[in-house]
Order: sequence, then structure tokens, then C-alpha cells
Amino acid sequence: MNLDFTAEDKIFREEARDWLQANVFKERRPHGGEAMRAYDLAWQKCQYDAGWAGVSWPKEYGGMGLDLTRQLIWYEEYARAHAPDNHLCFVGLNHGGPTLIARGDEAQKRTHLRPILAGEKIWCQGFSEPNAGSDLGALRTRAVIDGDELVITGSKIWTSHGHLSDMQELLVRTDPDAPKHKGISWVIFDMKTPGLELRPIEIMTAPNHTHFVQCFYDEARVPLANVVGGLNNGWSVAMSTLGFERGTAQIKDQIRYAFLVEQMIERARARYGSEYITHDELGSRLAQLRADMAAARAMTYMVVSRAQHDIGGSLASLMRAMVGDVQQRVRRLAFDIIGADALENPEDDDWVYFYLRSYAQTIAAGTSQIQRNIIGERVLGLPR
Amino acid sequence: MDLLPSDDQTQIVDTIKSFLAGEAPVDRLREHGAIGNPDAALWPKLGELGFLGLGLAEELGGIGLSASEEMLVFREFGYHLVSIGIFGIVLGARVAAVAGDDALRDELLTGARRVGIANPRGAAAGPGPDAQDYHLFEAADASLVLLVDEQGAGLLAREDFVDIESVHSTDSVLTLERARLAADKPRLWVARSADNIHSRALMLLGAYAVGLGEGARDMAVDYAKIREQFGKPIGAFQAIKHICADMAMRSEAALCQASFASLVMADGLPDTDFHAVASKIVATEVAMKNAAANIQVHGAFGFTSEANAHHYLKRAHVADLLWGSLREQRERILTFPTPA
Repeated sequence: MNLDFTAEDKIFREEARDWLQANVFKERRPHGGEAMRAYDLAWQKCQYDAGWAGVSWPKEYGGMGLDLTRQLIWYEEYARAHAPDNHLCFVGLNHGGPTLIARGDEAQKRTHLRPILAGEKIWCQGFSEPNAGSDLGALRTRAVIDGDELVITGSKIWTSHGHLSDMQELLVRTDPDAPKHKGISWVIFDMKTPGLELRPIEIMTAPNHTHFVQCFYDEARVPLANVVGGLNNGWSVAMSTLGFERGTAQIKDQIRYAFLVEQMIERARARYGSEYITHDELGSRLAQLRADMAAARAMTYMVVSRAQHDIGGSLASLMRAMVGDVQQRVRRLAFDIIGADALENPEDDDWVYFYLRSYAQTIAAGTSQIQRNIIGERVLGLPR
Repeated sequence: MDLLPSDDQTQIVDTIKSFLAGEAPVDRLREHGAIGNPDAALWPKLGELGFLGLGLAEELGGIGLSASEEMLVFREFGYHLVSIGIFGIVLGARVAAVAGDDALRDELLTGARRVGIANPRGAAAGPGPDAQDYHLFEAADASLVLLVDEQGAGLLAREDFVDIESVHSTDSVLTLERARLAADKPRLWVARSADNIHSRALMLLGAYAVGLGEGARDMAVDYAKIREQFGKPIGAFQAIKHICADMAMRSEAALCQASFASLVMADGLPDTDFHAVASKIVATEVAMKNAAANIQVHGAFGFTSEANAHHYLKRAHVADLLWGSLREQRERILTFPTPA
């Protein structure tokens, strides 16, 4: 048990800090549309051009080839520098890319990894369906083999930024006769494929705010070579992807939220007075969150520690579920600190927007309830 | 950076685990009866095994390990509901060592002497020891009493207190007395600047509370696997499963923070106080919530004294109220500068 970083780690941290300080985009990130896409790609390209993209990705595919500790350091400095969260790149950087690294063949890696890092391609997720949400294994979108192609028909939903994406990690049913988790394949899908139609879905943050799309596939044709990890192995490939989402991808957020709580303390002091908040209900909640954020960060360190020892797996659900709740409480308190003005939803203040966004925290990437099932069954060994 | 115990640390944990499993199974509290506990018999054995001076520097007569090893061991003390008298001895030995009373230090490290704990009864403790109202825990058969506050830590003689009156303890396996402090100053006193025993006490209490929460969690999970209703184990129902999952999530948060706090302390970093307080806040809250959930999972049985569930709840409340409750710690944590 130690908090030690090597001399090389420290040099890496200083270099990362210096570069971020000089290069972080200062302009506010647009909340939607092509402007947001352009912003996120430009920021990703900026990191790539300077050699800072893909800290733990293999060198041969454009990454830095470093270990998880460096990844942790990078994310810490990234959050400290208030670098923008280029969320459109999230699926590529944290799901699609890592899955290809773990399970893709050489051609798939060569074709797809570098454009993710270089800020050229946006990836989205095609997992959930109208009738397969928490029960993802019940998905029904069909893919029929025709020569060297798959012919896909069906529908996916809750695809974040699907209308702004180039590529999709898509789960399809390739063997309808196999048991439900056995007949699924994980496919690289080009969003320009004929036969794909999108229906935008507004979310609750503000009017006209498209975040999701529903995807309709009508005999859309994909090369068989785009199947990752082998035909009908899609469930295990997808589980490795979700593992990434519940694990290391959270590091940056913990630190960002810890900063936010500090900002909230300052804002509450400015608005209500230092003496007052210490004794107020607001102060009590701020204090509890200050402690909880410290614990959340320690949990992230634990996830990285376990990954270094190659243990963890479902244990990462503990962090994911805990932190989702804590982040929601942070956003709610930020909303409360604003007072009556929280009923205004101005463009230049993110606190109301992100409060409304926080309702996704306990739904996305597996609802809190599904996380608790996983914890109950796989961590605690309770019966199904 | 690694939050997992090293091989050496795991060996220490395994040693104390197997010692406590054999010498201090939680059932001892039920068998022993309503008042008092047999844990004082453990002190000489723990002394012999070196656990009483584990985190004390070698030049101060200890084993010379870090705050992290101490944290791991106090977690096990909490898990087995070991009497909080253990804090009196371990921190008392540290007071004697730092204050330079080597004879007393060595005597305490053998576990031959008991040390009670004085905790202010008032809502807000004044600075430094003062003639005011205290609770004395596990002090009935102790000649010495440990007092810890933000200014430092000291050892007093039992005779330094007057108007001692035995009261029924909510946590009935701990002895509890009311007393007024009559002495001007403790026999031995270590100022915060000499050794930050206050933050160590909070950090170790956090670790102890981690163990309490984990003990309650495991008791609930074990029961949920064997108790059957509607033809299956109750743990198969999400209503129960999710209660257990919540306990596991909270315990993980508390353990991670306790580990982090111990490392920050071991490295002497500026955020030592912050993380010790954060650990106490998170862990005592977890201990209380898990204890309550454990009672609920056990149903009516959990409400009886035939089950051990109530012990975790009562001890969690002791841990909360010792050295400043959740309410006081929350006030305090807002006074620290932004942690690194």
C-alpha cells in the first residue's frame, strides 16, 4: 500500500501539466450540434498532434504505450487544468477503441484506432433496443449472412450523439436459434451505410436539445470482416467494453467533481456567508460531499490498483454505482446553492444544465438497479 | 501508487484475522452476558504478538510500521467488535512514548494495564483538558484514562476524575461512567505539534468503523443466503439483494478512504487532517447505515438480543460520538483548505 510515484511518473506529470496549461481550449464547449462536434474533434486532434492522445494505448496504433498509472496521472492533470470533456469522443476512446485493442484483429486495429485518437472519427454505441434495455441479452436486431456481408435489420435506441457520429459499435443477433447470450455479434458499423435512418430524441435538459437518436436499420449491409472477436462471440466482447466504461474511464470525472464541490463551497460562502454555511443544512451537505468526493477519488485509485494486479472485474461496479449516486447529489446541491435563480436556465451557466443532465448518472451504462444486481450476485454471491 | 495491501501487510492482516477469529468471535458478546466484555484478556496476547505498538517507531519502543498497517489492524478490531479499550492502550502507549515515560510505555505495550477513554459529554468540547463533564469508556478497571482533543492527547489517572458514577451503557458490552475532570492537567501530555495523535485517533476510528460496517454487511449477506421465504433464499429477491449491494458499495467507499487517509498520514502530507476527518465522516456513517440495514435484513430476529445485529449498531453510534460526532466533523471538514 503506497502513494508513491516513480521519478519518471513525476516528470510525466510535470510535462503533462505544462502542456495542458498552455494548450487547453479556453472557449466554452457548445452543448450540441455540429459546433460541439467540431469543438470536440479539434480538441482531440490538438492532443493527438502534440503526442498526448491515448496514454495507455499501444504505440503502433498511435498511442503512448504507457501504463495505467500514467493514464491516471494524465487524467488528474487533465481535470486540474479544467480541460474540456470532449464527450463525443468518449465512446471511441473508452469503449470502441479499448474493445478493438482487446478483441479486434490486426486489420480492424489498423483501420480504426488511429482515427479515434486523431480526432477524425466519432464513435457511438448501438447496444440498447426498444425492448432490450437492462435485459441487453434480449436484443433482436437481426444480422443475416449473405456472402461476405451481414444484412442488418432492426432498431437501436438511446444512441448518444448518433446523429454526429461516423462509426458505431453495434450488437446484432447473428444466430436466432442459440441461447440468448450466445447468438450475438459485435460489429463495426459505418453510419453512412445505406439503409440506416435516424430519429432524433430530445432530452430533458432544454428544448431542442437532441442528444439521443433511435437508429433504424433496413437491410443495411456490413462486411463480415467488421465482426469483432468472432461471429456469435459478441456478448463476451460487449462485456469487456462495459468493463471499460465502469472502470478507468471514471477517473477524470472523480477529480472534476471534487473540484466542483470546492467551487460550490466558494460559491455558497460568497452567496450566504462563511459563518452561515457552516451551521446550515447546506453546509452539512457540502461537508458530507467533501468527504464523499475524497472517498470517490480513493475508490478510483483502488480501481486502478486492482487493474494493476489484474483483479477487479465486477468489483468496479461498486465504484460505478456509488459514484453515480454521489455525482447526482453534487449536482442537486449545486442547483440548491443557486437558490431561486435556479429557475433560470441561462446559456452561460452550466449548473442548472448539468443538474438536469445528472439524472442520466444512475441510468447510463447500466441502471443503478442493474449495478446492484451485479454487485449482489457477482460480488456478494447472492442467488439469482 | 497502490491502494492494495502488500504481501507483508496481507500477512499481518491474516495473522490478526486468525487470532481474532479464534480468540474473539463476535458470539463472545452474546455468551458473556449483558454487561462488560472479556476483551481485556486479549490485551496481553495482542501485546505479545506486537499489535499494540505496531505503528509506533522502533526508537520509541514500537514495531516501527506505518499508519497503514495500523489502519488495517484496526479495521479487523472493528470487524470483531473488539472493545474500544484498544484505542486507550494503543494511543496511550503512544502518549507515554512521545512524552518520554519509557517505563509506562513498555508496560502499556505488554497489555498488562488497561486504559479507559474519556470523551466530553458536552456538545462542543473546550480546548484542552478542562474540568468538565466526561464519559469514561472501559475505565472501571483501568488506572489510566486517555484524553484526546484537537490540541493534543494525554493520559490521566482515574483519580483525576471525581463524581464518578456508573451508568447503563447503550452499548451494553462496554462499561460507561459519568465523571468530572478535577485535574488541572494530564499526567502526561503530547501537544499536537509533537505528534498529531488527534488525527491518528480519527483515522484509526475510521478504520475501526470500516470494520464495523463490513461485519454488518457480511452478517446480512450470510443470512440472506440461508434464510428462505416464498420458497427461496431472501437474497434472491431484489428488495434484499439491493440492500446488501448498498452495504457493499458503502463499505468499499469507506475502506478506500481509510486506506488513502492512512497513506497520507504515513507520508506526512499536508492533507493528513482533512483525510482523517473525511475517513471518520464516511466510515461512521457507513457503520451506522450498514448496522441498520443488517437489522432490517434479519427481520424480527434482528431486533432481538439473540442475534448479534444490535451490537454493530450500538458500537457504530459509539464510534460516531467518540472524538466528535458526524455533526461536529462536518463543521470541521469545511474549515480545511482545498485538499491536493
